[in-house]
Amino acid sequence: MLATVSSATLVGVDGHAVSVEVHVSNGLPGFRVVGLPDTSCREARDRVRAALISSGFNWPQKRITVNLAPSGLRKAGSGLDLAVALGVLAADGQIGTVPLAGLAFIAELGLDGSLRRVPGILPLVAASGEEGVVVPPSCGREACLVGRVLTKTAPTLMALVQALRGQAPWPELPPGPEPVEAPTAPDLAEVRGQPLGRRALEVAAAGGHHLLMVGPAGAGKTMLAARLPGLLPALSADQALEVAMVHSAAGLDVAAGALCLCPPFRSPHHSASAVSLIGGGGARLRPGEISCAHNGVLFLDELAEFPAGVLDNLRQPLEEGRVVVCRASGTVAFPARFMLVAAMNACRCDADGSPGSCRCSSAARSRYIARLSGPLLDRFDLRVRVPRPLVEDLLRPAGPAGEGPSEPSATVAARVCEARGRARQRGAPANAQVPAWRLDDVAPVSAGGRRLLERRLREGRLSARGLDRVRRVALTVADLAGDEPPLGEEHILVALALRAPGGEGPGAWQEPVASYGTAAEARPW
Amino acid sequence: MVSVPSAVDGLAPAAYAAALAGLPGVGPGWLVAVLAERSPRDAWAAVLAGEIGPPVRGRPRPGAHEWAGAAGRLDVAAQWDRCRRAGIGVCWPGSPGYPEVLGQGPAPAGVLFSAGALDGLGDRRRVAIVGTRRCTPDGSDIAYRLGHDLSDAGVCVISGLALGIDGAAHAGALATRREAGDHGSVGGGEVDGHGEVDGPGVGGTVGVAASGVDVVYPRQHAGLWREMVRVGAILSETPPGHPAQAWRFPSRNRLIAGLAEMVVVVECHSKGGSWHTVEAAIKRGVDVGAVPGSVRSAASVGTNRLLHEGATPVRDAQDVLDALGVFDVRRARPQVPGPAAPTCPTSASGPMRTMEDAVLAAVGWRPLCLDEVVERSGLPLAAVVIALERLEERGALGAEEGWWVRKAH
Repeated sequence: MLATVSSATLVGVDGHAVSVEVHVSNGLPGFRVVGLPDTSCREARDRVRAALISSGFNWPQKRITVNLAPSGLRKAGSGLDLAVALGVLAADGQIGTVPLAGLAFIAELGLDGSLRRVPGILPLVAASGEEGVVVPPSCGREACLVGRVLTKTAPTLMALVQALRGQAPWPELPPGPEPVEAPTAPDLAEVRGQPLGRRALEVAAAGGHHLLMVGPAGAGKTMLAARLPGLLPALSADQALEVAMVHSAAGLDVAAGALCLCPPFRSPHHSASAVSLIGGGGARLRPGEISCAHNGVLFLDELAEFPAGVLDNLRQPLEEGRVVVCRASGTVAFPARFMLVAAMNACRCDADGSPGSCRCSSAARSRYIARLSGPLLDRFDLRVRVPRPLVEDLLRPAGPAGEGPSEPSATVAARVCEARGRARQRGAPANAQVPAWRLDDVAPVSAGGRRLLERRLREGRLSARGLDRVRRVALTVADLAGDEPPLGEEHILVALALRAPGGEGPGAWQEPVASYGTAAEARPW
Repeated sequence: MVSVPSAVDGLAPAAYAAALAGLPGVGPGWLVAVLAERSPRDAWAAVLAGEIGPPVRGRPRPGAHEWAGAAGRLDVAAQWDRCRRAGIGVCWPGSPGYPEVLGQGPAPAGVLFSAGALDGLGDRRRVAIVGTRRCTPDGSDIAYRLGHDLSDAGVCVISGLALGIDGAAHAGALATRREAGDHGSVGGGEVDGHGEVDGPGVGGTVGVAASGVDVVYPRQHAGLWREMVRVGAILSETPPGHPAQAWRFPSRNRLIAGLAEMVVVVECHSKGGSWHTVEAAIKRGVDVGAVPGSVRSAASVGTNRLLHEGATPVRDAQDVLDALGVFDVRRARPQVPGPAAPTCPTSASGPMRTMEDAVLAAVGWRPLCLDEVVERSGLPLAAVVIALERLEERGALGAEEGWWVRKAH
């Protein structure tokens, strides 16, 4: 006797439809799973057996073969339990002619016959390829996010069989928690002073540029970064679904009730390993922090404390917007289009970085900076110094809204939204993602700006890559100001100022290799 | 009586002087004492014979044989060959080419190794420019300027080849050499390394190293080192091929002080190697000058203390020349670009100018980062960066590592 039940399994962040074929025949009693199951998949046997017996069914004393098709695909996790159990019941004829077609079943079984949640419900449901899907009640709301698929739930195997037989109505979807307001990001109005840091944050949000903040401890770098999600425009429904899929696959809580349109903000601690950041892991390749930050912000506080090798892993994803993780068990591509925001001290002694304030030897200083590779440093379009705020700023009493120099997030977010709108009209979601060959079209430079850039280039204070980046940032600055291209001198100067400290590339951060030559060469800062 | 091995025959005296300097544990005191009594060849023979032993408190101990074995294994000929091929000169007290100034005063120099041309060092005016390795950009700028202007005025600039102030001073002095060479070359071609002629007033530069003259230390100064050998000179008491040991640095600093007629400290912290140079200079009766700095700058704590204790204040090369009593210099104080440079096509008038004034007023004499300039001026960022650009073009402001500061005129 043969029964076929639909289900799905997770590979990376993508779901794949799996057809569970169960064959029950006479012979030596036994249970065998074929079709590349992993350990937790193989253990289905014991869970299913106990669940069937607990639910009042018989465990057939026959030869049971379970094939997970397509058999070339590795299956991981316990989400196939329910499908296997129903397959056994159907093939053994214990539930008669119950219509199983048109439904996919995704749940882990408890020994008592209850249905339990599995990670990645969202991509699993999206991939099931059936009209309806049966999931555990706790995942019901999450599964609904997919839309187009009819979601049904049942608390136990017995309840499910009764509903399938038509002996009982399908249980109501449990009411999801009230659609939560997007967690309100802290407001920019709380940040005192920091005109440059605020400006850099605004430009980063508007253009999708990567941002590095350098400053002493307690200057407010982390505080600024935490306010970035409040400035970013809300995600589109498609983007939000992508984010939810990744989060679901990573086993994170996906906001039940409605898609969270707030861009994700991830801030891993600097003890993070390369795998936790990039993705990978055991039998099931899990997305890493950079994928969890997809369509959002990855904030690396204390950047220089991250192991150098871990950081250099970021270079390729930063360029490509996705990361391909290859393991013996398979190759998986994770989405990873994120905005990188980082904060670090100027040097180990935590001086404010002003000339002469540092107590470190030049060797110690260059060691500290050398932990960041030049290419990584170069990826940051915006590099700003965040000094300690002025005492007057700190002690100024907070006035009612709209008073004082500290703008609230809402005002800035409105400008950002408008600037992004301009960028979209030009055909790219953000200025950081404009293809290089289109830059001349969308960001022509005025004569004054050209003179300025030419001088910087000739003086060696701007590199070729730097030029590209400066033009993009200048375009964002113009967008924010509501100016049309060509880019004027003021836009380019602001872009250059936001690309400080000092100069170009990693050389601007390191001791001059040979402090000799002309006066300018002697200190290429 | 121990017979003299044949190795003592047939080599120049300098070869034996170099060999003596390369003996383990030998310092300048021992060398001076030994070479005062014997010629290098005799001294070497005496070492091999066990008549002269390792130094005890810097002085030779007679009658020690344990050293003779170590000395016997040393290949004098090979070492001498290496010196000759690298063009390294060797001199010792009393030999030709030994700088007389170093033979006088406390702790005279022992065997000196030199790369580059040392000729006429005694005829030139000599000023040492020293300071911290952890200098501010301003400090290295001042050192560069001092080195440049002094060399241009015919003063030989002496320093220690270290990172920071030392390197900048050498670089400045080398620049005048290049400028003089460029003027001399016809058709603007490359300056030929050997056909170079000293400009009439160029003082050149001499570096005193703590490592052997062919051992670049610090590595970052490999380029400077090459250039120093090419157009200046490098001196060291350490034999070629030997790295710098910690005790060599204070010893090197005493040579810097000994060579100079005046020691100028550009920037130094409350502790550091510069103080060794200053102490050695005071012991020798050499003038000490110091460049004043901000009382808040850690890199100027030492120089300001020196000034408080009576060192000659040095603002620029002219102050040094005045202290040396050099009055017939071709060049007066350097011309400072006026506040309104005519070459700047974008220098504006009217509202732009007042904006610049406001920004200039906001930037004080303490380095400010852009953030602080924006806050102090109360102007929008775009206006501030434009004004800063104009002010920098005019030379009214300078930016170092993203820190803005007004420039003195």
